[in-house]
Amino acid sequence: MQTYYSDLLVIGAGLAGERVAVDSAEKGFNVTCLSIVPARRSHSSAAQGGMQAALGNSAKGEGDCPDIHFGDTVKGSDWGCDQEVARLFADASPIEMRRLAHWGVPWNRVVPGQSFYFKGGQKFEKYEKPENEGLITARAFGGTAKWRTCYTSDGTGHAVMCTMDNRCAQLGINVLDRKEAIALLHDGETCMGAIVRCLRTGQLEAFISKATAICTGGFGRIYKATTNAVICDGGGHIIAMDTGLVPIGNPEAIQFHPTGIVPTDILVTEGCRGDGGTLLDVNEERFMNIYEPEKAELASRDVVSRWMTHHMREGKGVKSAYGEHLWLDIRHLGDKHISTKLREVDEICHHFLGVDPRTELIPVRPTQHYTMAGIRTNKDGAVYGLKGLFSAGEVACWDMHGFNRLGGNSLAETVVAGGIIGAKIVEFLEGYETKIKTDIVTQEYKKQEQRIQDLISGRNGSENVYDVRNDMQEALMKGCFVFRNGPDLEETVETLQKVLDRAGHIGLKSDGLGVNHELAAALKIKGQVKLALMIAKGALDRTESRGSHNRVDFPERNDAEWLTRTLAYWKEDATLPDLQYEDASPVFEIPPGERGYGGGTIIPADEQFVKERMIKKDK
Amino acid sequence: MGRELQFEIFRYNPQKEGDQPRMQTFRLEETQNMTLFIALNRIREEQDPSLIFDFCCRAGICGACAMVINGRPGLACQTKTKDQPSKIVLHPLPVFKLIGDLAVDTGVWFREMYEKTESWVHTSKTFDPTKEEERMNNDVAEQIYELERCIECGCCVSACGTARLREDFMGAAALNRIARFVVDPRDERTDKQYFEIIGNDNGVFGCMGLLACEDVCPKGLPLQNQLGFLRRKMGITAIKEIFRK
Amino acid sequence: MSVDATLHVVRPSKRDAVLDWMQMLTGAGLILFMWCHMLLVSSVIISPKVMNAIAYFFEVTYMAQVGGPVIFLAFLLHFVLAARKIPFRAEGQDTIWKHAKMMHHKDTWLWVVQAVTAMIILIMGAIHMWVVLTDLPITAAKSAARIQGGFWFVFYLILLPCVELHVSIGFYRIGIKWGFIKSEGRAAFKKLEGLLFTIFMVIGIITLIRFMFLA
Ligand SMILES: Cc1cc2nc3c(=O)[nH]c(=O)nc-3n(C[C@H](O)[C@H](O)[C@H](O)COP(=O)(O)OP(=O)(O)OC[C@H]3O[C@@H](n4cnc5c(N)ncnc54)[C@H](O)[C@@H]3O)c2cc1C
Ligand code: HEM
Ligand code: HEM
Ligand code: SF4
Ligand code: F3S
Ligand code: FES
Repeated sequence: MQTYYSDLLVIGAGLAGERVAVDSAEKGFNVTCLSIVPARRSHSSAAQGGMQAALGNSAKGEGDCPDIHFGDTVKGSDWGCDQEVARLFADASPIEMRRLAHWGVPWNRVVPGQSFYFKGGQKFEKYEKPENEGLITARAFGGTAKWRTCYTSDGTGHAVMCTMDNRCAQLGINVLDRKEAIALLHDGETCMGAIVRCLRTGQLEAFISKATAICTGGFGRIYKATTNAVICDGGGHIIAMDTGLVPIGNPEAIQFHPTGIVPTDILVTEGCRGDGGTLLDVNEERFMNIYEPEKAELASRDVVSRWMTHHMREGKGVKSAYGEHLWLDIRHLGDKHISTKLREVDEICHHFLGVDPRTELIPVRPTQHYTMAGIRTNKDGAVYGLKGLFSAGEVACWDMHGFNRLGGNSLAETVVAGGIIGAKIVEFLEGYETKIKTDIVTQEYKKQEQRIQDLISGRNGSENVYDVRNDMQEALMKGCFVFRNGPDLEETVETLQKVLDRAGHIGLKSDGLGVNHELAAALKIKGQVKLALMIAKGALDRTESRGSHNRVDFPERNDAEWLTRTLAYWKEDATLPDLQYEDASPVFEIPPGERGYGGGTIIPADEQFVKERMIKKDK
Repeated sequence: MGRELQFEIFRYNPQKEGDQPRMQTFRLEETQNMTLFIALNRIREEQDPSLIFDFCCRAGICGACAMVINGRPGLACQTKTKDQPSKIVLHPLPVFKLIGDLAVDTGVWFREMYEKTESWVHTSKTFDPTKEEERMNNDVAEQIYELERCIECGCCVSACGTARLREDFMGAAALNRIARFVVDPRDERTDKQYFEIIGNDNGVFGCMGLLACEDVCPKGLPLQNQLGFLRRKMGITAIKEIFRK
Repeated sequence: MSVDATLHVVRPSKRDAVLDWMQMLTGAGLILFMWCHMLLVSSVIISPKVMNAIAYFFEVTYMAQVGGPVIFLAFLLHFVLAARKIPFRAEGQDTIWKHAKMMHHKDTWLWVVQAVTAMIILIMGAIHMWVVLTDLPITAAKSAARIQGGFWFVFYLILLPCVELHVSIGFYRIGIKWGFIKSEGRAAFKKLEGLLFTIFMVIGIITLIRFMFLA
């Protein structure tokens, strides 16, 4: 058995993972990062639009401050977030952006003088102050009061990912690619590393560590239509959930992005709308300004996706061979803007649609995009249920996003949370020693080896993993998409339970040797179906509508009963998740109220309950 | 009804004892808007689950899926079958170590490249969290980003005759990486320091101007211009050094 | 950084840079020479007298006696320098041929052409220079006599296209490698390269024919 030791093992080398790693490495701890793909290919690099930080340098961001950012975030979350965490985030974000600038991110900067911008298809003028020349600038994004989204062209994630990976290289952090964690090592109390499948040889290896951090990103791939990379398949969630001790927070909170292109579901950034692009229906007329007079196309994603779906149901969608869709129009932004600030969008349109966005409309519709759901941690990033286990980034439910995360907030979360949690891990590691129980390592290793043998030999059955996966994806698309309702959800739960049973009887069609993909898929299919069941059951039980979770049969936001966070556990041999609940936020800085967009009614929370939890900020 | 596509795919799994490199034929009916991402996944899911290849973002932005498509290195995910003849021949990228079938090890190659080029901003300044960020001209920022757009797919390296002849040639991607730091005012390295890294036949003087790198780069990086820029700069640096003595 | 990296700390060597400069300069020098050479030899088209006059000029100024060997040395030096890049082992040759065939890429093929013509030029050019320089002075009549013999006609018919290919590609390549040609200008330069080749080929062939029929 190949065994590696380190002080800190970071599973996942996306932005969150590498940012977490940096702090410990700076302090001289021995850090190893694992990733399925070379770090820079992590899905963080796909983020185009930008990251939010209240720097307030640009003309349209003047007067911005962490308080306003905090407020936007809480409203965006539909009061589902942990306000302590959102506060930590909003305060630290500007500093973190500057740190990134110091490390090498080529942020776009303020260009002084007069310039134009578009909003709702119309042209406006703005004037950038000369004294701000050269500071980090920002663009508009959905659900924000100010222009706050820092960016580098429309390759923000890519640029930041490059810089972060450079930083890791500089610090000599061991970033190993083609390593997939398939199980955690733990004794029921403490986590001590992971069993990993090497994706060069197919061999199993043991990575033993004092502290372990799961930073494996989202799990959009359990949906059929998603903007996520093929490796965003929940591997990290599954190994945590499989312990039976760690809960998934708010599994029903899944975000659908308004502008996935049809048919490939590749994302075109929210920056399109931020920069003044509009949504059009079959008659090539705008409609968001009718539903949302104030914010129009720039309401939060849950709201825009909902209205788009609604509008299509009204018969205003464009019919196509791949189902109905709507149009995104950025023609009026002009060639220069498109070929500099929306270059990736331009390329995507060209390569995957054969469309020139300067003269043609882009077919779009809501698509799975982000998982607010995730491994539940406390505000230090420590995972509920196991000591020495941390989590950060999209995989975690640190919970600053609640039931809907704002565009630009998650990429920012990866580095801000990465920084905060990275520092907490250093505190944890300092002076911490642990005994490695080798019997547990050997046991787990053998268990995983056995699992692989069983799959190869077909001992448990001969179900085709790809068929099972397909059925799971279809079920989620049907029951757990933008709009949900009781009967459909019940049916989905039932279907998924059957799928879960089949997932236990997979047998490989191929030999499973080496870097076999069928084996990789088979190793996690069961966990994926369990995650799917958590979503369905969580959504079924949550009889209200909040953020991205829309129950047609319970349209109001019910703060009286549901100002809570779902904690979904999967106990050994269970057929359904065990759902528990905790308060959404231990404290309130902003009491639950109206978001200012999205409409809908609210059943208010108990006044006393809210009052007791209000914190006074003396400034 | 679409065309019937015939795929000739390189097969070899080094982890399988006794396996021999060979070409294998698969057939698939073409569908609308089909890309190689869709086609290869269908082949794997419907015909041969042992087929090894890499995809990640499937949107042309991560660089995972580079392979040799009818003779040219390119990104499979953004290759539309309708732009290809009905016979599509697929090979793994040369130069890089083979993982299996169409997958190669770009990760290790690029990590070594970071080390060789010291791919990070070299600065003596320390970060002060209480201070405003250092200012930068937006044009400079855009210039840096232009070179930062490399997705490390490895196409340029595989397409380069020099790299194929000489294992230790750094390749266009590495030279472009240096150019990225040269234009970055935050990096305090001097021309002389850059010269130590690339002022030799493994670096910029090894490049023979074949320009396949420029022609295959799926991100359209300005490699030709950067290589010329660096050769001039390093050439002049060498001469200055000679006359300084 | 690995441990052994510290074991051989080499002072940054300027060797490769110098060699690259020299390769370029010898190449450029040879191009200039070939153009002058073209002027001399092709002047026969206008009239053998002109050619004789030019040759005489070189002769009395000792440029032929001194310049000839100098060119010969430059030729050898350029060969030695450029040969660093040519794969002489079968393995390398195999690789580059396979690569060029796989890629269907014009500039890669151009390099192969350059390397192949280089080898031909090395042998034939050396023979040619030897023959001409050991039989000074140059006169149109002597040249005509040689060429009318038939062997040299065929000889030049092979050498000429090789040289012209090598020269025009080399010209373009210098522009590319040193960044004088930007990517926007590349297509235009490639056309220019083709044009140069064609013009020099035409002049060269007319010259040969002229020699053939020179009384
Ligand atoms: C198309 C798209 C555009 C986006 N645009 C924006 C935007 O403009 N602004 C914004 O704020 N947010 C955006 N987001 C969201 C944001 O990009 C992500 O939430 C964020 O990048 C997640 O980062 P991460 O570090 O948590 O995970 P990732 O970057 O996804 O990294 C996950 C890492 O974990 C590794 N990994 C996964 N499973 C395993 C395993 N089992 N074992 C070992 N390693 C594993 C992977 O290899 C990878 O290295 C976008 C998302 C998408 C999909
Ligand atoms: C009259 C004779 C010759 C002329 C005018 C000439 C000219 C040139 C020029 C201008 C270049 C481009 C220089 C550069 O890329 O830096 C070049 C390159 C080259 N020459 Fe010659 N050359 C001649 C003879 C030869 C001979 C005899 C050889 C011998 C073997 C040779 C081999 C090469 C090679 C291999 C290259 C390519 C080098 C590279 O791409 O890096 N040449 N030549
Ligand atoms: C100093 C050196 C050189 C001298 C004095 C010289 C002289 C001549 C002369 C006199 C001729 C006329 C034909 C003849 O007399 O046989 C000729 C032709 C020719 N030479 Fe040279 N030469 C020199 C170097 C070279 C070199 C280096 C090359 C190329 C490698 C070259 C290529 C040719 C060719 C191709 C022709 C045929 C010309 C045509 O058809 O236009 N020569 N040269
Ligand atoms: S320079 Fe272009 S071809 Fe080369 S690795 Fe980068 S993106 Fe790929
Ligand atoms: S293909 Fe290779 S030789 Fe130079 S111009 Fe590009 S690196
Ligand atoms: S899969 Fe990312 S570039 Fe093709």
